[in-house]
Amino acid sequence: MNEFLEHGLNQNRRKFLSKLSLGIGGLALGSLMVPGIFDASNEEDLFTNVLPHFAPKAKRIIYLFQNGAPSQLDLFDYKPLLQKMQGSELPASIRNGQRLTGMTANQAKFPLAGTKFNFSQHGSNGAWFSETLPHIASMADDLCIVKTMYTEAINHDPALTFFQTGSQVGNRPSMGSWISYGLGSENKNLPAFCVLLSKGKGNGQGVYSKLWNNGFLDSIHQGVQFSSGEEPVKYLTDPEFIKRTDKRVMLDEIAALNQESYNKIGDPEIVTKIQQYELAYRMQMAVPEITSLQNEPESIVKMYGPECLIPGTYAANCLLARKLSENGVRFVQLYHQGWDTHGNLPKELEGQCKDVDQSSAALIKDLKQRGLLDETLIIWGGEFGRTNYCQGALTKDNYGRDHHPKCFTIWMAGGGVKPGVFGETDDFGYNINSLPVHVHDFHATVMHLMGVDHERFTFKHQGRRYRLTDVAGKVINEIIS
Amino acid sequence: MQVNKINKWGEGLLWLLNPILIILAIYIDSSKSNRGIEWLGKLHPLLLHFPIVLGIVIVFYLVFLSHKRLELDLEKLLFTGNAVLATLVALFGLFLSKQDAYDKTIVDLHKWGGVAIALISWALLYIAYLKINWKRVIGIIYLIVLLFFTHKGAQLTHGEEVLAFPTSAPAVAQEINKVDSSLTVYEKAIAPIFEQKCVSCHGTEKVKGKLQLNTPEFIIKGGKEGNLLNSVNNKEALLLQRIHLPNADEKHMPPDGKLQLSLEELNLLNRWIKAGGDFKKKINELAKTDTLALLAMAYKAPKKGDNNNKTNAPDLSTFNTSYCTVNYSYYGSEEIFVDFFQGTFYKTESLKKLEPIKEKVVSLNMQGMPLTKEDISIISTFPNLRKLNLNYTQLTLNELSPIKNLLKLKNISICGIDLNPATLATFIEKSPFSIVHIWNNNATEKEYASLMANNQKTKIIIGDNLNDQILQLTSPIIEQDSSIIVTHLDVSLKHFMKGAIVRYTNDGSDPDSINSPIYTKKILITKSGILKTKAYKQGWHSSDITEKTFYKSEIHPDSIFLVTHPDKKYMGKGAKTLIDYELGEQNFSGGKWLAYKDSNMVFVTSFVEPKQLNKASFNAFIDMGAYIFPIISIKMEGSNDGKIFKYLNEATFPSLEKTNKFRGNKSFSCTFPKDKAYKFYRFTLLNVKKIPKWHPGKGKPAWIFVDELFLD
Repeated sequence: MNEFLEHGLNQNRRKFLSKLSLGIGGLALGSLMVPGIFDASNEEDLFTNVLPHFAPKAKRIIYLFQNGAPSQLDLFDYKPLLQKMQGSELPASIRNGQRLTGMTANQAKFPLAGTKFNFSQHGSNGAWFSETLPHIASMADDLCIVKTMYTEAINHDPALTFFQTGSQVGNRPSMGSWISYGLGSENKNLPAFCVLLSKGKGNGQGVYSKLWNNGFLDSIHQGVQFSSGEEPVKYLTDPEFIKRTDKRVMLDEIAALNQESYNKIGDPEIVTKIQQYELAYRMQMAVPEITSLQNEPESIVKMYGPECLIPGTYAANCLLARKLSENGVRFVQLYHQGWDTHGNLPKELEGQCKDVDQSSAALIKDLKQRGLLDETLIIWGGEFGRTNYCQGALTKDNYGRDHHPKCFTIWMAGGGVKPGVFGETDDFGYNINSLPVHVHDFHATVMHLMGVDHERFTFKHQGRRYRLTDVAGKVINEIIS
Repeated sequence: MQVNKINKWGEGLLWLLNPILIILAIYIDSSKSNRGIEWLGKLHPLLLHFPIVLGIVIVFYLVFLSHKRLELDLEKLLFTGNAVLATLVALFGLFLSKQDAYDKTIVDLHKWGGVAIALISWALLYIAYLKINWKRVIGIIYLIVLLFFTHKGAQLTHGEEVLAFPTSAPAVAQEINKVDSSLTVYEKAIAPIFEQKCVSCHGTEKVKGKLQLNTPEFIIKGGKEGNLLNSVNNKEALLLQRIHLPNADEKHMPPDGKLQLSLEELNLLNRWIKAGGDFKKKINELAKTDTLALLAMAYKAPKKGDNNNKTNAPDLSTFNTSYCTVNYSYYGSEEIFVDFFQGTFYKTESLKKLEPIKEKVVSLNMQGMPLTKEDISIISTFPNLRKLNLNYTQLTLNELSPIKNLLKLKNISICGIDLNPATLATFIEKSPFSIVHIWNNNATEKEYASLMANNQKTKIIIGDNLNDQILQLTSPIIEQDSSIIVTHLDVSLKHFMKGAIVRYTNDGSDPDSINSPIYTKKILITKSGILKTKAYKQGWHSSDITEKTFYKSEIHPDSIFLVTHPDKKYMGKGAKTLIDYELGEQNFSGGKWLAYKDSNMVFVTSFVEPKQLNKASFNAFIDMGAYIFPIISIKMEGSNDGKIFKYLNEATFPSLEKTNKFRGNKSFSCTFPKDKAYKFYRFTLLNVKKIPKWHPGKGKPAWIFVDELFLD
């Protein structure tokens, strides 16, 4: 071959580098021509603008979280076999090597404990309820009872975090934050995601703000925790002599200053701050009107139970949840503490049921009679279930139950769910026989009811697209009406 | 200029342009438009034929002439020139793709094909020393790529059938949108629907599921699952089944993500198939009032060329305000939901503003808005309303009657509106409503029973009315955190129920509804005792009693010091904690408690002058779960010199039983013998030394938590 030709064709280092410099120049020039190609925001806007993906069955959610895990075996999942086998050992074939918590793993015996409560069937589907929930039982025909929920975690914190954020490890956005991000607020004068806390007398487990955290989403989507005192949102009233018009002028000036520093620094949190000031300004008008429970007619007070007038009780929070929801809050999250019945279950459970029974049922009735139940999804349930064997000493009328992730019961009502009893557990109430519903499946289904395809609803963060359902979850069509 | 130099420049240019090309190709969709750059796109059609011709020449050269090499410089000029042109054409093509809305899938294919052509033609510069056969293979591949992807471009501008053999075009396409009753129903309304929403997959281009919907013959033939139009085994016709499945269902048609059928279109298809799926029936052969005929006449097919993935629905942001939310039911839907909030800001103008979209509004929520007759007359012009919420709108049923004209309105809520069975009967008579929610504070099911029985068509939801039920009031709340009286304490009583009467006593007796004073203003408490209070209201059972014990600290020692030291974690403020008039909290690590476990609690109080005492009381905390047990005994001794103490008295208390779950503050007291005064008093408080067996902490000493001493 011609030497000159060969020389010309040889790619030596000098040639490569000199050409590469042009190449890099080309890259740079290319990126200049497409301003903002390194902005992630463009792409994410696309996701939100196309929501909901399809016609939603529910527009709003009220999630009555029973924090601490209520015992499904003493409330919904009636297992006469356990009563028959009271005190006998849990068969190894049923436990099947299931991991137990540190609280009972060292127990020498696992005596089966049948429920102490009487069960009866209610409604056209013959759903079983224990005598502790007479009001909820009376609404049986509106309830979609799923007896076969299961989760992966066996302790409260990871299980709660899993239920709320789709991950056992913190720092992911809560369900409500996802909904707020995806569907936005209906009423622009209220946060899209509100959180209400209450406490029962039973053995309590903590609730912490990470459960309603926005994670990597913009902090405007964080759940707004209402105070459980008489003033649900503090410092809403203007000081004396400050006129609302003056306040407007002040906020406009502050917004202008913030905008200026945003233009300089570009931190998206500054924009959030501006939005939050605006929201707070509008909340000043909206919140007092909505949160005042005193003007509710007496008949409603009787429906929710007289406790509903005492701020900070579960009943008051249920009533408040209805008022927030009917005023367009997308996601109202309640937590009621005290369901962690490791010991002294019969007494503690009765107390907890007394707290929640009447008002949970009242919420369904009240939304129904106002014509709002068909567009509101109510969810009632804890983070896992409780064991069929006794923790600690088993006596005739006292027992305790440890955590049980392999099956438990939750119920839903309203927006798009089919009334009925779904899934079957085995006779020991330990394993699932049919229709297992994983937490991811539950999230996928709830998203579906809100008109969101959980697989298409993502947020890109640190180079990866995240979903509420992570990389799993399927919609449970059986429970959708 | 020498050819050599041109080649060098050309090669440099390629190294510059190709990275730009790649970057742009990846990000062009997300970039913002820029007119100057997009103008360059117009050069695409101008230039594109050059690299095609050059490319074909090169292929010819590589395949047939490679044994007869051109002059080296000339060969390189040919290759470089081709590559530069191909790259420029691809770049301009990208700019062009921003301008016009073309079919996205073809554009994407063409785009990446163009990039591939540019890159291959660039790579050709470096294959000179390959073997002849390799060059031939590369040449062939190049040709295939070139022809296939440029053909995609041709399809974009000249239509998908650019090279197809001419066939007779379906006649219906031209007839679209003509209002002519001599057309058949199929021509007027059905064919356009298929044309718009189905044939892109079920047509000549693609024949998914072996189904074509572009001619009557094909439609009658059906697809791989057979007949489309006739119901088999009493099931709905296959076509109807598929279009009515939930969107998420895999078999739903059109597939999720594609442009969906509108309600009107669903209705048309439904009625047409139910009427027999006739291809020949003309509109004017149907009765004038026939719904199918009316629908078909009114149907206007949307214009073609709209991107399948985007909706043409108008932007709703102009209708949204802080107090009115206007949204599509979902993305791509034509149905609109409207919600009004916060009645204080409501103006009729905001309702009037919806005029341009009123035909699309299917759900309207006006709960709590102060509506007038005028508002109702506006609402009654929203023809497609299906759900209407008028709860608490301060109207009368009579004023609401215009909404009965909304024929599609099925679900209506009028809670909180004044009505009685007679007015309601008139209201729902001849109305289109299938469900009416009328809950208000007075309506009861009994009252409406006969109306409900006579009206099967309209379901009346009354809801629960519990006015007659008698429940127990909650107990009043005593608002005073402190229970220690120094001089006096102000105590407020609170009840959240409107109209509840709160009565109280402070002499230890239980309050009653006759004699006990009614709480009206703050109660002044000046001496030790129990405050008991109870709430009453007409129509309610009276509440349980709330009580609170107040202690007056009558005597304050001049000094106090601890003999044994409390546990390091719970030292409070030292000895002073006992006489600081502050009770400890339920959170016992709050720094207001003194706690002992490993030793008894021993302390001494002193007075300057000998002081005679009656009783000493201690406030202690009990929490079995936290191993905090009651004080077991209190021993008291007196002295005048602070050295030799004389035994005065001792009180003992029971420990906890297993079943006692009490958690909270408890008072423990011991009385002094009469008529003895001392300067110094020594107190010894004993804790449980061994926790009983039934407790998890069996055998270990228990805690005592003490925070306050009261002397009198």
